[in-house]
Amino acid sequence: MGLFRKMRSMLHDDWCSKCQSEMDVVHKQLYALPTQRVGQYRQQDDPAYYKKNLVPVEKKAQIPTGMYACGMHVYRCPQCGHRAVKLTVFLPVRDQEKTEQLLYFEDGEMDDFIWR
Amino acid sequence: MDKKIQKINYIYLLCYIFVPLMVVSAGFLLGYYLFHDGGAGAVVCFMGFPLVAILWWSFGGKLLYKQHCKKLIRELDERGFSRNQTFDGRGSTVVVDLNRGELALVFFWNPFDHYILPAKRIERAWVDDGAAGAGFLRGSSRVSFLFLIDGVKIRVDTFTSNKRWRMDSDYILTGISKADVMVDVLNQAKERSA
Repeated sequence: MGLFRKMRSMLHDDWCSKCQSEMDVVHKQLYALPTQRVGQYRQQDDPAYYKKNLVPVEKKAQIPTGMYACGMHVYRCPQCGHRAVKLTVFLPVRDQEKTEQLLYFEDGEMDDFIWR
Repeated sequence: MDKKIQKINYIYLLCYIFVPLMVVSAGFLLGYYLFHDGGAGAVVCFMGFPLVAILWWSFGGKLLYKQHCKKLIRELDERGFSRNQTFDGRGSTVVVDLNRGELALVFFWNPFDHYILPAKRIERAWVDDGAAGAGFLRGSSRVSFLFLIDGVKIRVDTFTSNKRWRMDSDYILTGISKADVMVDVLNQAKERSA
């Protein structure tokens, strides 16, 4: 393993923070975030905020102009079974995305929301 | 309601530029003829008058414009206008009522007048991302939304800069998104306008 691999794992959001193995994506979902609009974005770190406000959508085109979106990736480590959730809050602008915030939840904070 | 839109009040524009210049000139003349030997009077004439002019150019116009915007908002609220979307651009403010299909406008260079009109008078609304250049030099220093009312083109900036930014920069993307939202809102208001 070693220090070098640990440092590399810091740059890879899909690497396990416990054993530094590459994790599998077990679930992906796109959400709209109707409470956040362009020009009025407020940074939020509380998982309860996302559980309350995320609205699942099929594709980006369903998100109204100027409304923020949130991409969720659920990872699971095939070696040690560790699970992590990555939330990417972004503003969809035509065919591009303006990333606003990246959040990692590694202690099961979002479990009840994902697996409800 | 059918009043022709005037974005610039030319008398105000000329007064905005030249009245402070005249005040400065008057101060210099007074100072030269009355306080030729210096003293407190000379300080007032040579520094006080220009200071007044600088204060006017720096804050006076903006204060007057903000006062008028507040007055417009008060009037809109009295009329039962639902302020569904308000955009304060550099030089103009646009307020849209989606329920009634109306919009209200006020311009920096015409701060004594404002316009409340049905959105059906909007002929076209679009976004100008200001993109110029080719390849890696492609970028923009201004993003705005524009609309035509009775043939008068109104441009409202959602982003301006004194340097050029890449088209995928956060500033440009935010500006485009704001402009897209406003164009959507204007088109919706137009559809709902009686």
